Amino acid sequence: MDASRDTGTESHRGGSPYTRSLSKTITKPLQHVALGYGLSLLLMAAAFGLSQAFLHFHLPLPFTSFALCAIAIAFWYAGIRPGIFAAVLAAVLRFFFFEPGLPVISRLIYGLVFAIFAVLMIEATRAKNELEVRVAERTAALNEANQNLRHEIEERKRAEENLRRSETYLREAQGLSHIGSWAFNATGPVYWSEENFRIWGFDPQQGLPRRETILERIHPEDRDNVVMNVRNAVRDGKDASAEFRIVLPNGEVRYIHGVIHPTLNANGELDEVVGTQIDVTERKRAEQEHERLRQLESDLARVERITTMGELTASLAHELNQPIAAAAVDASTCITWLTRERPDVEEATQAATRIVSAATRAAEIISRVRSMFTKGTTEWSLLDVNEVVREIVRLLQSELMRHSISVQMTLGEDLPNIMGDRVQIQQVLMNLIVNSIEAMKELNGRRELAIRSQRGDRQDILVSVSDTGPGLRQGADRIFDAFFTTKPHGTGMGLRISHSIVESHGGRLWAANNSPQGAVFHLSLPAAVDTAL
Amino acid sequence: MAVQGEAKVVTIVDDDELMRNALMGLLKAAGLPAMVFASAEEFLNSGLQHQTSCLIADIRMPGMSGLELQAKLNADHCSIPTIFITAHGCTKTRMEALRAGAVEFLTKPFDNAVLLQHVRAAMEA
Repeated sequence: MDASRDTGTESHRGGSPYTRSLSKTITKPLQHVALGYGLSLLLMAAAFGLSQAFLHFHLPLPFTSFALCAIAIAFWYAGIRPGIFAAVLAAVLRFFFFEPGLPVISRLIYGLVFAIFAVLMIEATRAKNELEVRVAERTAALNEANQNLRHEIEERKRAEENLRRSETYLREAQGLSHIGSWAFNATGPVYWSEENFRIWGFDPQQGLPRRETILERIHPEDRDNVVMNVRNAVRDGKDASAEFRIVLPNGEVRYIHGVIHPTLNANGELDEVVGTQIDVTERKRAEQEHERLRQLESDLARVERITTMGELTASLAHELNQPIAAAAVDASTCITWLTRERPDVEEATQAATRIVSAATRAAEIISRVRSMFTKGTTEWSLLDVNEVVREIVRLLQSELMRHSISVQMTLGEDLPNIMGDRVQIQQVLMNLIVNSIEAMKELNGRRELAIRSQRGDRQDILVSVSDTGPGLRQGADRIFDAFFTTKPHGTGMGLRISHSIVESHGGRLWAANNSPQGAVFHLSLPAAVDTAL
Repeated sequence: MAVQGEAKVVTIVDDDELMRNALMGLLKAAGLPAMVFASAEEFLNSGLQHQTSCLIADIRMPGMSGLELQAKLNADHCSIPTIFITAHGCTKTRMEALRAGAVEFLTKPFDNAVLLQHVRAAMEA
């Protein structure tokens, strides 16, 4: 009894560290073997102590129950071997402390009870261990799944970010290039890009525009055509494109180039139609402007031609007037000699001879004009540049005189011929000389036109036309451009036409300033091969 | 150019050879002594201005024009009765010439008799 009382107090004293270690084991499974055995020992000591306490207070003997609990706990938390140790310990404790007077058979039965309980607990512990392993496995699997999921979320986020960026780029690109995109199906529009809204002047806040609203915005003249185009494309399942105008509520007209692409499902039925719409208004305007300029250019070229003709006609009239006037005087003189009291046939003959030369001169002028205006395509022939220069100077003589311009011609001797179109070369020289006249006619001071021709270094003929005008003050490199002019009434076409004529002859035309003053135009034309050799 | 001692010569200044010769022939037929120059400068350089009693000049010529020649002669205090002949009967030029003291301003082609009448009138003046 004393001993059992002692163990009872011992058991009480040891109660508090036990509960502490138990609370620990719940959070952390026992790792160390010694701890396991220690726990078993403690548990059994507790069972023993409690039993002693029960004995002391004359309660029914509960050691077996406590021992079984202790064994169970030892198995559960400490493992199989400490559990078996606890079972053996329980048997020994019972044998020595409780009912030592029991017969052998009873003791064996008690031993058997502990043994069976131990075997059951072994199984239970094994199952528990297996479960733990499985739980660990499952946890690992779950962790992995979790990891994967987190990864996937990140991936998704990244993809979303990329998508958003890509969408931004697309939006920017559409805005920059004025290309809108849209899609529609049998029920109506299903998608409109931001730029498409802008092009059509619809408010994206108000959602997709209805089919009727869209059609209303198309220019009435183009509407039927657009509808028909779309209908045909949908019916045939083929891509289609069309150019049309839209009219915005403020009356602004925009030009749209639309392309649509119908997509069909497996049954060949219309799934959706996707399309782009390009705002080509600016391009269209530029085209119209370009066309207008081209028209203007051709008009100007015609005006230029007519002007040149006019100048030429005035010049010719004057030139023809000279021999006619001279002939009239001579004819009158001739009559005077013949109608005298004593006719002077010799003097009359001289006068008549002068009439003949005047008439011949007039005829020459006429034939020159005829050769100059002979219609037809360009006629290439061997030309003597000097002859052409002389012809033109003669033709413009009166014009030069009218402006008191003296002409100095220094024409090289024995120059090779060139191959070219006489009329065109004449036109070039005329343009250059008329330019010089224009440059000098307002001038106070020396008005001198100098024309030189000489053999060039590269099997070519060089002709220069220089004046004493103000020279090329600005834009010397632009003077051959169309519409470039410094003259108040100039069209700016003369030099350009000249330039292209010279180029078509394989030659060059350039300008420079003359010293001490004025401008000089240089013309280089290749010598004809057969005469150059 | 041989000229009689007394200044009774008609001077022709025209750059056109045909017209020069025609006028020469005309004056010869009319029995008037004449000399010809192809340009105003040539005439001024000849020093024969003072022997000229009548000047027939073209308006438009390379270098000095007929009007400029007239102005130059006026400036040199050597005014000569001048008959201008020109292809262009522009009123402005005509008025300018007459104001500067021209006797007549004829447009080509002109009547020989009219020209001679003016020449004779000028020489007798």
